[in-house]
Amino acid sequence: MRGTGFLSLHGVDKRFPLKEGELHVLGDISLDIRQGEFVSIVGGSGCGKSTLLRLLVGLEEASGGSLRLDGVPIRGTDPARGIVFQDHRLYPWLTVEDNVLLALANSPLDKAERLARVHAHLELVGLKHFARAWPAQLSGGMSQRVAIARGLVNRPKVLLLDEPFGALDALTRAQLQDELARIWQTEGITTVLVTHDVDEAVLLGDRVVVMEPRPGRIRRIVPVDLPHPRHREHPRLAELRSDILQDFTRRQAIA
Amino acid sequence: MSTIQASHPFQAFPTRPWPGLARALRRVGAGGAALLLPALLLVVWQIAVERHWVSAQILPPPSRVLETFGELWASGDLWFQLSISLQRVLIGSLIGGALGLLLGLAMGLSRQVEAYLLPLFQALSQVPVLGWIPLLMMLVGIDEALKYLVIAKAVLVPLTLNTFSGIRSIPPSYLEVARVYRLGLLLRLRRVILPAALPSIFTGVRFALTKGWIALVTVELLASSEGIGYLMVDGRQMFQLDLVIVAMLVIGLVGLVLDQGLALVETRLQRWQRQAF
Repeated sequence: MRGTGFLSLHGVDKRFPLKEGELHVLGDISLDIRQGEFVSIVGGSGCGKSTLLRLLVGLEEASGGSLRLDGVPIRGTDPARGIVFQDHRLYPWLTVEDNVLLALANSPLDKAERLARVHAHLELVGLKHFARAWPAQLSGGMSQRVAIARGLVNRPKVLLLDEPFGALDALTRAQLQDELARIWQTEGITTVLVTHDVDEAVLLGDRVVVMEPRPGRIRRIVPVDLPHPRHREHPRLAELRSDILQDFTRRQAIA
Repeated sequence: MSTIQASHPFQAFPTRPWPGLARALRRVGAGGAALLLPALLLVVWQIAVERHWVSAQILPPPSRVLETFGELWASGDLWFQLSISLQRVLIGSLIGGALGLLLGLAMGLSRQVEAYLLPLFQALSQVPVLGWIPLLMMLVGIDEALKYLVIAKAVLVPLTLNTFSGIRSIPPSYLEVARVYRLGLLLRLRRVILPAALPSIFTGVRFALTKGWIALVTVELLASSEGIGYLMVDGRQMFQLDLVIVAMLVIGLVGLVLDQGLALVETRLQRWQRQAF
């Protein structure tokens, strides 16, 4: 078992310098995410939710506050934090297998162990027969499965997902959501999902963090008090969804 | 023509005035179409000679050129001159190509190297190959070194610029993935940067080779006692225009073959772009 994977954000602030002045993207984000918890972060465009994820993966540095994983400050990227982007970002000149293998570049495993690890993860996402395929031969959903396999292949403590299903059609999205829920349950990995899809946020998350923009802040945190695996049609999910959606519609009415 | 028009009495603008020709062209395909214009030229050329529009001494008939080509080939002279030229292009291109690739990579990977080198490089590359020859002649004489340098310079410029811009136009998302997995420089080059920049680099290679081949002919015309360019000078001095035309044809054909050969290699290297469904 992974044993750890406790995320702690305290007073996180992010500003981007502009030609004149600066852009205040995130302000005073404080949030603790339990080991093995699934947290959805939902918000409209421009609320800084993707920036928050980029801070967590280590592609950006916070302007203020602290981000810690198991008490250790997050600095730069690390195999302990896996990420899946919205666009699958597979290298088209590498086969599926080589794409996932590349994520193990700094792993202490030997070659045979790496390959076994890659194949195990391709099997986990249901693509073990596509190891030798080129990304151009895959559908959007399949490519995103490979990206998930790549995000998990290092056995990270935390899996970060940046609108991973946003570019997929509704049917494929539903399918992959179920699969993500299954993988999360079997792997028991701390997961942070950024999405603009409220349905997705409540279906998958133990808690839903609702954000509001300018600067990006946490508006409120909604616990989803339903056991996993969940049923899409559960009335409680619909309640929570309309509750959260009201946050956005009310805000828009004011704006 | 008339029957076609009769069968389409209401067609105000006949879109295909020569349906027979169009059909014939389609049958021979694109390759055939490419040969149409050269064939026409050949006919005009033959007529011009027959009607004495130009004196045969200045413009020998196609048959004479073909004969000369046959003789030069049979005697081994043509191949000898050509092999010398090809060797010069090979060596010069390898030098210029290796340097260009390194320079382009260095400038592409480091903003600092770019800041130091790019302006100077751009200024120097504005001087055409021909403009370098007088200075280089004084520096290295007119032997093989001059040819290598001139060809290397011609190859260096397009390869450097294409490698540089190829690297700079890699989508940031590809580089971010490399950062996420903390790929070292070598792995990053081999797995991410070079494959991503390959189409641009290859355009550079093809362009560079064309430039190099042209530079070779230029330098051989100016300062050489061997090679395909020299063959041309020789022919002109002896007033053997058939020789000059043979040399021109060979230069054109070899250039075309080199370029097409590289195009094939390019397709092979980018096999991942083919889609199965």
